[in-house]
Amino acid sequence: MRFNEKELVFLSRQPSERAAELGMRGPKKGDVVKRRLVKLIVNFLFYFRTDEDEVSVKQRLIWISTASLSLSLEFNWFVFQPIGALLLEQCRVEREDDHVFSIAFLDEAERKYLFECGSQEQCVEWIDAVVKASYEFMRKNLIYYRTEIHRLTGKDPLEQYGISDETRFRVNSGLPPPPT
Amino acid sequence: MKLNERSVAHYATCNSPPDKTGFLFKKGERNTAYHRRWFILKGNMLFYFEEKESREPVGVIVLEGCTVELCESESEEFAFAIKFDCVKAKVYKMAAENQAAMESWVKALSRASFDYMRLVVKELERQLEEVQEEARSSQAKSMLKKHQLQLQGATFSLQNATITGPSQEGVSSRENGVSWSKPPSVPNGVRDTQGDCSERGDGVRPPPVPPRRKTNGGSLESPVSPGTGCFSKLHDWYGKEVAELRIEWLQSQIHW
Repeated sequence: MRFNEKELVFLSRQPSERAAELGMRGPKKGDVVKRRLVKLIVNFLFYFRTDEDEVSVKQRLIWISTASLSLSLEFNWFVFQPIGALLLEQCRVEREDDHVFSIAFLDEAERKYLFECGSQEQCVEWIDAVVKASYEFMRKNLIYYRTEIHRLTGKDPLEQYGISDETRFRVNSGLPPPPT
Repeated sequence: MKLNERSVAHYATCNSPPDKTGFLFKKGERNTAYHRRWFILKGNMLFYFEEKESREPVGVIVLEGCTVELCESESEEFAFAIKFDCVKAKVYKMAAENQAAMESWVKALSRASFDYMRLVVKELERQLEEVQEEARSSQAKSMLKKHQLQLQGATFSLQNATITGPSQEGVSSRENGVSWSKPPSVPNGVRDTQGDCSERGDGVRPPPVPPRRKTNGGSLESPVSPGTGCFSKLHDWYGKEVAELRIEWLQSQIHW
């Protein structure tokens, strides 16, 4: 499946909701825990290499083998590009341990990404942040606020902004809208 | 860069209702002809499929940090483009089948970002808080009589803090900043509608925000008020004042 990778990488460099160095383990058997810089931006979780052995060995090799400016720029790109991104929609976040949480996607619920935090507090904060990071979560909140305000005031709060007919703010999410 | 592609594709076709669907022509990335594709917009993700019945998307465009513009095209009518802000960014050229469809898609796509949704949610959250605040203050007037009777006699513990009032914690506890970021005119406005009460009674509401400073002895004034630049410091500082005001109010209740 194609995706706009360059734009996603650009997004990963924007200010984040939350960022920390965590231990991360992939969902495959045989995946081990690796230190990663994990960054939460909109509904994506990006993970980067940290200042670690795997970086410094490659770093040394490249710097030894060439002094060319363009190559070192490419190396910087290599380091500052995220290894990967997780879209946080249709996922379940669980507390696995005192300071460990997991993210699993509903279409493959047994495959869990594990994240080891530095403390219980950090773990709780991350779980809260990840749960709230989905577009669908925000949409649910919006529907709740819209309905409540309407109930208390008799008015649709979106009317004044001219967006009360937008499907994304619809209160009754039943059938999908007909194609136009 | 890796992406949890399978799960992303699943988001496209799972049972949550999409925000918009329809056929559009998309200019190819390698082959520059326009291809007719079936599009599904969900949240900030625009998926495109070869056919309407296809189970797997051909691709997805993440709609964060983009603008949607109408554009002139020699070959296609009703053309528009999705443009991104980064260096060497892609431009996705699209064309709709008629004017109405084009306008509808441009509108939907330009409001598709997470940031936009977040803005609207925050605005409604703020509005709901205001509405609830108004409801509470009118409720407080009728509750006031009831509370006057309760305060007489029976042991009254400061811990009780009836001042927090019914169902007040719900919204304000979620986001500390919310009530403080309201302009000062709001609590003043609410106070005015209460009319004259024989006591300072705000009923069960906590004392209003700082503008009420004149009623206190100067002891609460900090010699140095934190600069408004640091919000959390400001919040703590006002929070201390509110806590002291509460205690003062409660004590004044006990003594009559």
